[in-house]
Amino acid sequence: MKDVLYFAPTELTEALKLLAQYGEKATILAGGTDLVPRINYYELKPEVLVYIGNLGLDYIEQSDGKLIIGAATPTAKIAASPLVAEKAAALAEAARLSASPAIRTAGTIGGNLANASPAADLATPLIALGATVVLVSAKGEREVAVEEFFKGPGETVLQPGELIKEVRVPIKKGKSVFLKLGRRKAMTLSVVNVAVYVEMEKGQRCVDARVALGAMAPVPLRCKKAEGVLQGCVLPMSALEGAEFLDKARIEKAAELAIAESSPIDDQRATAWYRRKAGKVLVARALAAAAGVAI
Amino acid sequence: MKYVLSFNLNGLPVDTLVKATDTLLDVLREKLNVVSPKRGCDNGDCGACTVLVNGEPVRACLTIGLTVAGKNVQTVEGLQQDGKLHPLQRAFHEHYAAQCGFCTPGMLIAAKALLDKNPKPTREQIVEGISGNLCRCGTYVEVVEAIQAVAAGKYKE
Amino acid sequence: MAEYVGQPVLRYDGIGHVTARTRYVDDIQLPGMLYIKVLTSPVHKGIIRHLDTSAAERMPGVAGVITAKDVPGKNAYGLIPDQPVFTPEHIRYKGERIAAVAAVDEDTAMEALEKIKLDIEEQEPVFDPFKAMEPGAPLVRPEGNVWEFNSGKTRKIRFGDVEKGFAEADVIVEGTYTTATNDHAPMEPQVSVAYIDETDRLAIYTVSQDLYFHLGMLTAIFNLPMNKIRYIGGTVGGGFGSKNDIHCDHVAGLMALKIRKPVKYRLTRREETAYTTKRGPWTFYFKDGVKKDGRIIARYVKTVHDTGGYAGMGPYVVDKNSILVAGPYAIPNVWVDGICVFTNKPPASSMRGFGIINGTAADQLQTARVAEAIGKDPWEVHFINAWREGDLGATQFKVEAAGLIEAMKRAAELAGIELPAHLKAMSSRGR
Repeated sequence: MKDVLYFAPTELTEALKLLAQYGEKATILAGGTDLVPRINYYELKPEVLVYIGNLGLDYIEQSDGKLIIGAATPTAKIAASPLVAEKAAALAEAARLSASPAIRTAGTIGGNLANASPAADLATPLIALGATVVLVSAKGEREVAVEEFFKGPGETVLQPGELIKEVRVPIKKGKSVFLKLGRRKAMTLSVVNVAVYVEMEKGQRCVDARVALGAMAPVPLRCKKAEGVLQGCVLPMSALEGAEFLDKARIEKAAELAIAESSPIDDQRATAWYRRKAGKVLVARALAAAAGVAI
Repeated sequence: MKYVLSFNLNGLPVDTLVKATDTLLDVLREKLNVVSPKRGCDNGDCGACTVLVNGEPVRACLTIGLTVAGKNVQTVEGLQQDGKLHPLQRAFHEHYAAQCGFCTPGMLIAAKALLDKNPKPTREQIVEGISGNLCRCGTYVEVVEAIQAVAAGKYKE
Repeated sequence: MAEYVGQPVLRYDGIGHVTARTRYVDDIQLPGMLYIKVLTSPVHKGIIRHLDTSAAERMPGVAGVITAKDVPGKNAYGLIPDQPVFTPEHIRYKGERIAAVAAVDEDTAMEALEKIKLDIEEQEPVFDPFKAMEPGAPLVRPEGNVWEFNSGKTRKIRFGDVEKGFAEADVIVEGTYTTATNDHAPMEPQVSVAYIDETDRLAIYTVSQDLYFHLGMLTAIFNLPMNKIRYIGGTVGGGFGSKNDIHCDHVAGLMALKIRKPVKYRLTRREETAYTTKRGPWTFYFKDGVKKDGRIIARYVKTVHDTGGYAGMGPYVVDKNSILVAGPYAIPNVWVDGICVFTNKPPASSMRGFGIINGTAADQLQTARVAEAIGKDPWEVHFINAWREGDLGATQFKVEAAGLIEAMKRAAELAGIELPAHLKAMSSRGR
């Protein structure tokens, strides 16, 4: 077996230099929870491992109206953070429901995104919350919306030499909800997961709605058609003017549209048929909870 | 290409030569003959290799060995103090919380990680705490009872 | 003795388990031990046309390579010894062993496997047991795809006269039920450590659930008398029937005999799940003749068991299933045909219950369907038909110490179900 090189830089600039030097040969290692099984089973034969756990990218901060989460922040820390719970409830819930304790202490938010599983639990809440990722390389920095970060299963816009530095989540007034259906309660990938964000003017008129579906397409999916039918709708008892009522029927319409935008597959976890059925129910429940509508 | 890996294992310093792709499980079991973490799946699924790194539970099979450089690693070999069984060890034994015993070391570490942070967990929190540890013999009920007994203070010195 | 009766007794191995002093086979490391990896068939069915291991043998770090040519005794094992340790020619399932490499570590052994030149003429496989029984189906086995029992192509249970029973019945109830393949998934994967000991005996640390059964097979494979094999077992990290079959000891033993060095052969979880013996899938067809009062007076059952590429314990599993599949009921007319079929899948063998629980699942579904057909509560049908003391089973054994009615009453109680008084009044002691 060819010798594998290992680097554990302690400065970001040093890491970026290594990534520039080794280019496509470099494999970025953080918590390892997705990467190491592939090494153990010889599916991936890395040439150069660059460990980014010592770069100080483990932080959760509030700055400039945004929640800033370092790429190497473990899922457990996100699940336990009162700040995340308050400012990005769907993300906190997704972190809490992902995997199991010993996976959450190692697995990181950056790794969850970079692994680009269509079922990545943290991707859907970040899309629903309108988050961005900051990508850095020796050449500079760019910011990409999470919904535009994924290209396909295991594929992202990350270029060789590039690294996720942090995730930025805008802090907004509305309410976010995350729901997950797995084969069992813990230690399971999503059969389908849903994250929604709804902002209600005076608690009565929907001024912003975002819907994201996981494990329902080759990438975590934002469902814009579903969002469109919620915009401007008002609660049935509202004194405010609105195009349509935001009621059970409207929410079910949105759920239907979300599923129509998706393209789930049959796999060992569930059939596409089941994913559509269950996904529709989850979208409706999440929207109802976020908008304060009884269904 | 081998690297020198130095870390603290159950309170004592160790140095060993490892490959970049050796997992912490490889390092502990194959290099250091510390065999309490079990190799059940090499995939992060079973939990039998759970160990503590700087007090946090991790899967040894998912942890690249070199990443624990300078850190504290705890395994079941380090649970006993002054020759006395840890309360969790006594409780597991007396509650029949081990049948074939293969998942037991991982279960003990998961339980310790839980109680270190939350000494008085609810039953639900205990179930959550061991949710990443599989037991094919099905001793979950006894494991939960053993942890409850420790949390209730029944195994104080 | 009296001090233990009625008292909880702590496990003798409990302290070992909680201190992790219990030594499982993979915990054993011998000085100079080498690691084995096995080349398995990438196709479901085929013929090996060419096998060249020389490049692997020459690779630095490799201590030895073995194939079918290196089996000094009988290259066959199993309860029905039909499965080769290494297949010399015919491949009957994906994952069948072809060659093994021993090297300084598993990474090197894996690399050596890639250097083995293997030319397989791939053939059309068959996976569905019903397709495998059709005329002209690809032959999994040269002798045919249906196992020959001493009673012919079916295991036959004949009791009373089912045709007469159907004629006398008020209602005929039919049903087809299937159960899927299961893997045992013990926490401890399959593993073996073998070495030549100080008295020149072949010593093997094993995870076997069945030491003497396996020792017998190993003597035949190694062509060694029993007193030349030290077979050391006792600590098993869960088996659930999987360790009733040999998965590693034969390969490790053959390698140790050839290279005279300590070796370890362990399966990864993925290898174990994909390639080892399974609880095979079943299909059950039931036809019952039923009286309106709930009595089942005739039951015809045809079962098809998929045993994969080799017999494993499949025929034995069919025997046990056939004896009990008609259920714990006093049915005067029973006809069972049990069929065991070869397909190009990993061999089916023992797993908790040897086919009995699959039959029970089918029987319970069918009996519930019987109740539905005559508009009765399933409890009623179970109680009316349950074996009483002295009843005859379908194989003409006399039921002794019957307790089904009492067990059902207790189950209802635990489930919080209030049974009607006439059922509560019933007893296994009489009808």
